[in-house]
Amino acid sequence: MEPIEIGLWVSGGLLIMVVLGMRVAFAAGLSGMIGLIWIFWAKKDYGLDDFGWALTVATKTAGQVPHSKVSAQELSLIPTFILIGYLAYYAGLTKALFEAAKKWVGWLPGGLAVSTVFATAGFAAVSGASVATAAVFARIAIPEMLKIGYDKRFAAGVVAAGGTLASLIPPSAILVIYAIIVEQDVGKLLLAGFIPGVVSALIYGALIVGLALTIKGFGPPVRGFTWGERLRALPPALPIVFVVVAIIFFVYNPFGGDAWGTPTEGGAIGAFVVFLVAVYRGMRWTQLRDALMETAKLAVMIFTIIWGVLVYVRFLGFADLPGAFSDWITSLTMSPMLILICILLAYAVLGMFMDAIGMLLLTLPVVYPAVMALNGGEFVSAADSTFGMSGPMCAIWFGILVVKMAEFCLITPPIGLNCFVVAGVRPDLSVQDVFKGVTPFFIADAVTIAVLVAMPQIVLWLPSQI
Amino acid sequence: MAGHSAILEDGSALSRLDRALLRLERALALLSGLAVFGLMVLAVVSVGGRNFFASPLPGYVDWIEQAMPLIAFMGIAFTQREGGHIRMDILVGQLRGRPLWAAEFVTTALILILMVLMVWGSWAHFARSFDFAAPMWSRDSSMDIALPLWPAKLLAPVAFSVLCLRLCLQLWGFGRAFAGNLERPVAVPLVQSAAEQAAAEAETVSNGEG
Amino acid sequence: EEWNVSLWGKRRAFTEHVEKLAELVSEKTGGEFTLNISYGGLSKNRENLDGISIGAFEMAQFCAGYHRDKNPSITVLELPFLGVSTLEEERKISQALYQHPAAIADLARWNATLLMPSPLPQYNIVGVGDAPATLADFEGLSVRATGGIGAAMGAVGAVPTSMSATEVRQALDSGVVKAVAFAPHAHMSFGTVETGKWWTTNLNPGTVNCPVVVNTDALNGLSDAHRDALLGSVDEALDYYIATYNGATMDAWGPTLEEKGIAQVTFADTEIAAFKEAAAGPAAAAWIADNTARGLPAQELYDFVTGMIGQ
Ligand code: NA
Ligand code: NA
Repeated sequence: MEPIEIGLWVSGGLLIMVVLGMRVAFAAGLSGMIGLIWIFWAKKDYGLDDFGWALTVATKTAGQVPHSKVSAQELSLIPTFILIGYLAYYAGLTKALFEAAKKWVGWLPGGLAVSTVFATAGFAAVSGASVATAAVFARIAIPEMLKIGYDKRFAAGVVAAGGTLASLIPPSAILVIYAIIVEQDVGKLLLAGFIPGVVSALIYGALIVGLALTIKGFGPPVRGFTWGERLRALPPALPIVFVVVAIIFFVYNPFGGDAWGTPTEGGAIGAFVVFLVAVYRGMRWTQLRDALMETAKLAVMIFTIIWGVLVYVRFLGFADLPGAFSDWITSLTMSPMLILICILLAYAVLGMFMDAIGMLLLTLPVVYPAVMALNGGEFVSAADSTFGMSGPMCAIWFGILVVKMAEFCLITPPIGLNCFVVAGVRPDLSVQDVFKGVTPFFIADAVTIAVLVAMPQIVLWLPSQI
Repeated sequence: MAGHSAILEDGSALSRLDRALLRLERALALLSGLAVFGLMVLAVVSVGGRNFFASPLPGYVDWIEQAMPLIAFMGIAFTQREGGHIRMDILVGQLRGRPLWAAEFVTTALILILMVLMVWGSWAHFARSFDFAAPMWSRDSSMDIALPLWPAKLLAPVAFSVLCLRLCLQLWGFGRAFAGNLERPVAVPLVQSAAEQAAAEAETVSNGEG
Repeated sequence: EEWNVSLWGKRRAFTEHVEKLAELVSEKTGGEFTLNISYGGLSKNRENLDGISIGAFEMAQFCAGYHRDKNPSITVLELPFLGVSTLEEERKISQALYQHPAAIADLARWNATLLMPSPLPQYNIVGVGDAPATLADFEGLSVRATGGIGAAMGAVGAVPTSMSATEVRQALDSGVVKAVAFAPHAHMSFGTVETGKWWTTNLNPGTVNCPVVVNTDALNGLSDAHRDALLGSVDEALDYYIATYNGATMDAWGPTLEEKGIAQVTFADTEIAAFKEAAAGPAAAAWIADNTARGLPAQELYDFVTGMIGQ
């Protein structure tokens, strides 16, 4: 059997294991292991005496992957970004952000909902994970919205949607994972998420204002804050600014000088600032220990998927499946933009059933080379390319699109994790309620994605500055 | 998609073994958390050294690379015990009783097969970097300051072996549940409904929130 | 018969001998014996020797400085200021060293047989910020330089940092390093010329040694005809490599510097002599001491290499 056929059979097997509920990391690792054994054995024409050799070579090849792949400096961003998020609770940043947003934009139509979106966007600048963001704001923002007469389903929907901003606005664990898988510059990808994240937040805000203007009794604005109150609301939220500045300046110095360091260092400095604030606000060792344990648990979960999938990817390398798939994609006669849109729609469907990290890790090794080939190759210049951008820029653009798709899936039924989390926090809300409340935001997300596809400059302007 | 699970306990031998192993798993996970903290401190030292004392930390990248396996592997068994490795549970979530325990038993057995092979493979990876006759027992070194790589490589088979023990206990637990057609067996992560999971998730993130 | 070959990065001057070898072998055997070249799909570059040792693929390229402890014998060719002046000389000395019993035994631990070198010219430095005028200006400069070149830079007060070639651009852009030591082709393919402001024309502190190896069992398992086709093509592949490097790559280098407006820094002979004085002797002495402790005939290897220089 040809290696590519083996690649297809094993990938089918992987799909079955995942659907049957085997833990994704191990299903991928086992598929990779079986695939490697198969490929090495096939090389010896399935001689009975050669099975032992194939098993040994495959096992030792797979056995290199965990240490080899996790010992990468860029990957240290993931635990650091997770830790910042946990420390931020103890630093009291969530409440501070919500209060500040309320005082500054509460006067708008639908003001409290707009405040919630902006506060989640601000929190996104210290949190690398969407689900955590939704959980926290469900506790803070929903009660206030209900108090002044918002529809409870809509209040829940705002929080579920706002939570998704955390993965676009840096720090973002999922952008780091994308960068690692496709071997692109982490710093540029993190910067690239910034403006699309802000654009998403603005589109959410505009949608809410629009709804408030058209629907009677939507939810009154909150007025009457003095400028003094507004200014006093800012200092408690200041650590956020430190983190944003640290991460941006460590990747790229907007004033034209050298950047201050690497993204890895920027993330760590950001975490350290938040840690100091948390200690100042009274964090104790037991709380720090809990934060560290939670960080470790989430990090090991992510790293296990990473090495498990990379065992599978190593097998794909021997089977050359990604090469075959991109040859197929580029041989299609459809317009490249249409193919790209089909790929994004496929992610929307897949994302209904899978979680974001698993989905990206499993599909990108095959899909990413195909998209790059579609644009004219990894090293193509902007002038010779299909989408009008150089290879590295296309990698960044596609990354942001895919992450936005993954975030979209967090609020779509049947497995919109953010909606489950919000419903979990609020016993008075069913999951169906939250899905109903979040529906308007599908439109906002569809608009955002269309805007990002049509105007790649929104994604590419900031990273092209460095 | 999978978060935390409730794990029941009682006085049975299985449950006692479960809790004994849990103590080890917890300690290893905490080690991994402390390594994250250490990473943060290391970066502060490195940046501070470079920008304020014009003396970069030699081998900063090498040290990070040494710390990463600590973070990535040590908590793997703890996370498996809690059912924290993600999976797609649309299908398993529908099962009850014996079909559920059979499905869990089979997937756990498959994981055990993989991990036994990974212990072998990662041990071989370690063994290639280790040489009793060489200075610092090193046959493979980092790029910048030539740190021996064998200690970091050894962490993988160690952590994976602990995971294998955990998987054996879970096989025992699921097998027992299948044999006795148990409703709520001890020492194994129980499938929670999406709502239960979300509540647990929300609980962990909001502990001590100010 | 098909062999898998593990390289990394993309096809470039540095990999042209392997590409040529594949072409020649296939030609000579009428397509019966092919080399299937993979850029990064089969292994990480720092684990290519592991892959050879396991038998996962049959041929691979790596650089000695990526992992000194894996291949101490051939790191002798990475010592600073050996005085190698041309690619032809680098090739000749490397090929001779690869036949030395100590080098053969060293690589045999990985079930590897040294097939051919990837001769590179002397490294020089591209940097940002103010161009150094004298050696004293290197004090405190953070520079990406591996192996012996790193040691040499350290000897004049610079702060050497190692990272693999693919990480260099980000490190330079972000100020983690202020300067990068590379061969010209790598300065071009890894983008340091995009941000660099200056280039040292005659520092010539040394180079790296990146052999192509084959799995010994696989080599022994070849039929005589196939083995002859492989081994008989090495010289032609290397001729082609050197012609390409001296031709296309070096022809592109001068214009690239002009086009990017990179200042060319040339040090006075006395400065270079002082640099060599400070770096060469101590580095060689340290290398000999370390590797004698490791059980290598280090002094003999060092004399073997230095004895061939300028011959
Ligand atoms: Na974020
Ligand atoms: Na969904």
